[in-house]
Amino acid sequence: MSLGKHLRGAHVDHCKNTAGMPIIPMTLPERVSIPMSQHIGAPCQPVVAVGDHVKLGQLIGNTDAPMSAPIHASVSGDVVAIEQFMTQNGRVDTNIIIQADGKQEVAETVVPPVIDSRESFLKAVRDSGLVGLGGASFPMSVKYNVPEGSAEYLILNGAECEPYITVDHAAMLSYGKEMIAGMKTTMKWLGIKHGIIGIEDNKPDAIENFRKLLEGEKDIEVKALAHTYPQGAERVIIYECTGRVCAAGMLPINVGCIVSNVVSMLKLEQYFETGMPLVSKFLTVDGNLVAHPQNVEAPIGTAINEIIDFCGGTTGEVKKILLGGPMMGRAIPRDDFAILKSNNAILVFDDLFANRPDETACINCGRCVDACPMNLMPARLSRAYKDKDVDQLREYNVMTCMDCGCCAYVCPARKPLNFEFRMAKGLVQEDDKKRKEKEAKN
Amino acid sequence: MADKHTNLIVSAAPHVNAPQDTASIMRDVCIALIPAVSVAVYVFGLQALILTLVCCAACVFMEWATRRIMGRPDTTSDWSAMVTGLILALNLPVSMPYWMAVVGCFVAIVVAKQFFGGLGQNFANPAIVGRIALFIGFATQMSTWAVTPRMSSAIVNVAGADAISGPTPLGLLAKGSAVPTNLEMFLGNINGSMGEISAAALIIGGVYLVIRKVISPVIPLSFIGSVAVMSLVFGLDPIFQVCAGGVMLGAIFMATDYVTSPITNAGKVIFGIGCGVLTMLIRMYGSYPEGVSFAILFMNILVPHIDSLTKHVAFGKEKGGKK
Amino acid sequence: MEKKSKLSIFTNGLIKENPILVLVLGTCPTLALSTAAMNGIYMGLALTFVLTCSNIFISALKRIIPDSVRIPCFITVIATFVTIVQLVIKAYMPELDGILGVYIPLIVVNCIILGRAEMFASKNTIVDSAIDGLGMGIGYMIALTFMGCVRELIGAGTVFGMAVTVNFLTPFSIATLPPGGFFVFGCIIALMNKLTKGKVREKQENKCMGCPGSSFCSKSQEGGCDQ
Repeated sequence: MSLGKHLRGAHVDHCKNTAGMPIIPMTLPERVSIPMSQHIGAPCQPVVAVGDHVKLGQLIGNTDAPMSAPIHASVSGDVVAIEQFMTQNGRVDTNIIIQADGKQEVAETVVPPVIDSRESFLKAVRDSGLVGLGGASFPMSVKYNVPEGSAEYLILNGAECEPYITVDHAAMLSYGKEMIAGMKTTMKWLGIKHGIIGIEDNKPDAIENFRKLLEGEKDIEVKALAHTYPQGAERVIIYECTGRVCAAGMLPINVGCIVSNVVSMLKLEQYFETGMPLVSKFLTVDGNLVAHPQNVEAPIGTAINEIIDFCGGTTGEVKKILLGGPMMGRAIPRDDFAILKSNNAILVFDDLFANRPDETACINCGRCVDACPMNLMPARLSRAYKDKDVDQLREYNVMTCMDCGCCAYVCPARKPLNFEFRMAKGLVQEDDKKRKEKEAKN
Repeated sequence: MADKHTNLIVSAAPHVNAPQDTASIMRDVCIALIPAVSVAVYVFGLQALILTLVCCAACVFMEWATRRIMGRPDTTSDWSAMVTGLILALNLPVSMPYWMAVVGCFVAIVVAKQFFGGLGQNFANPAIVGRIALFIGFATQMSTWAVTPRMSSAIVNVAGADAISGPTPLGLLAKGSAVPTNLEMFLGNINGSMGEISAAALIIGGVYLVIRKVISPVIPLSFIGSVAVMSLVFGLDPIFQVCAGGVMLGAIFMATDYVTSPITNAGKVIFGIGCGVLTMLIRMYGSYPEGVSFAILFMNILVPHIDSLTKHVAFGKEKGGKK
Repeated sequence: MEKKSKLSIFTNGLIKENPILVLVLGTCPTLALSTAAMNGIYMGLALTFVLTCSNIFISALKRIIPDSVRIPCFITVIATFVTIVQLVIKAYMPELDGILGVYIPLIVVNCIILGRAEMFASKNTIVDSAIDGLGMGIGYMIALTFMGCVRELIGAGTVFGMAVTVNFLTPFSIATLPPGGFFVFGCIIALMNKLTKGKVREKQENKCMGCPGSSFCSKSQEGGCDQ
């Protein structure tokens, strides 16, 4: 293996304007709209009906499918409608709309879970409604349900490599103790020996905070990571923390690792303590048009424009709104979508990042090759994609691409490289399918 | 109630870009060539400046005209034609007739670059192709080296007091005459092509490019390093060999042309060493006193093969095998 | 094959199916000999003679020659005429022999002659084949002479040995060297394609039928190339 000591990456401007700002709870919205599909896997079915009164933390959506996470009411109030419409993912989904009564009565079901075995631990993880909060929204109960003894490392991902976003940083400063407690519980019931907290070294106060809290601990260590994007990508953080190579198509558990976002761990611990499932999200609201950039805690299902208004509204003509950071975040066409479990930032911009500059010819400069954390050769892949040459795409391992966007970021010709590779992966998958069909026929 | 924003711009991530783009890279190369042009003007006089301007203007005009005739989008704003013009000019003797220089620009921009599809598609460095075409086509004019009073006494003495042209240091060496001192070679008090005389000025430009992260130092170092090693092997003075002729100009500005150099670092090392070794072999055994441009052209042609030899192994894949 | 008028068979070789510029056959002697306009005339005459004679003979013998050994038979016929030309040139024009040199015997394996024998003479009447050979030969001569003019003008400043620009402009001698040959050749083909766009496109519909390279050209399976 000719990988270096560290994987490559891009030096992206951090723009952490909101660093050090506390997380402020948002004023309660009048109504929330909670989609039933907030995770990878099977969507939930509503378990409440129009007219029902729901309380904070009450189960409102669930399913029997194993690949799923239950959904809970984020405000107390009345269910006024259950409708089908498009959510921020661009999918048409069932939405439960709750008119808030402002009382925030806590549901009777919200009691600390009793955990006395591995099974009860996993049940508690599922009941918490948690999904991977880093962005992938992989149901946490599925992630933690690993063969006994197969996990050696629990890696807490506090890299937060995306520019602008600072919520993980803020949470690490305020809730370090809870995160460590959650880690210990998880390690105890899953039989994991080592815990690693990986934090980019541009957050020295968070590293210091954890080091202080962990004094005398042998099982959990803090690892300072280089501040290059994308340190927080799952495969990258596994390599940087343990030196293990989680190749494309493998799950972290195949190399003995479980990776969790720091806020996921915090929410899990809070569920263990109080029984309150995941009903609110920490969000960084920033971008050059937000009047008062800050970190807020918003109930899931709050409309994005209300959150922006809470932060003082916008100061100019809005051209682009991103959910997530500027490297991997999604641009949304309207700002009245509801916030989901997986969101961690709302960035509002005018012309600054609105339009991608025009693409020019590749000059073969090799910047993309030097930036790719997966050691791919984007310039060659791009040529192969242009020719729709599936064999070349395979030869240059397009499936290993994790869509981090480093190549497109550094490209002086402004080619949308990772977007091309997303399309290219589709080509390869289609071709695989055709091949299989052919084989089946023979 | 909040104002609603609809019809927002939706585009694929990433939404940010590194500050460098093609035009800024090319502009940096132009800036890095300013010291070399200045030395040329100092040593050769105003004519050097005029010839440089003629080449730049001709290259940019031809780029514009060819793209227009071919019905393709205009690319003069990316500064690449300007770079070609500058480098080509620096490869010419100051006494070159202007129209011949323009012919060289035509070969560089139209034949070597646009006929192959424009920036990014050319198989060889346009400036080198232009230079070699001129060198073969107008051999006499391309090897008439002006002598001015600002040059080393070794050159002025051989040429004679009233002569307007004389042999270059490499020519002197081939004849077995006294050669300029290494300091003169380094600073540029010698004759030769306009841009290649001063190693010092070229190094300043090279350092600027490396600091600005426009080029990686791999190719220049391996190129110059292998020239030095080869001259030691042949029992020659490495400092003289490195400063003489086009090694510095070639290594820093022509071999590092992105389009025609390998994309990986391993490939760049092979490329640089290949250029250096070939340069010295041509100098020692070839019929020409100088071989930098032929060496680079030859290696340019090998680049696709070097690239396929030095492919990166993707994360999680074994070398050679498919996993 | 549909019946064509005698005139169209003749003119076919001049432009529409010009052996050099459209069919791109026999490029090796083309590049080597087109350094001067006069060479084009000499080489063109020699080739026209061989092509016409061999076309006539092959057409006459087409019923006798077995299909499986037709190529050796063609070559034998062609070689006969080439030897005649070569010996005549050696005997009466020794300077010319010095210029054309090895390219005269190489006419034996020149693709144009073999190509026309295979594509035309073995399928058509004797008169048609003779006219085709004449047309193709003259087309070859015109193309070669034109290329020679261009290269001579740029590379030596003369045309047919007469000074044009040599007295006031230094000739750009690379044009008479191999790289210049390829460059001029490419440019003339491009020009030809531009001028005969409509006619060349027509050929494409026949899916490379007229192209001698169709058996080994990968593009013929994809429905034709630009030529």
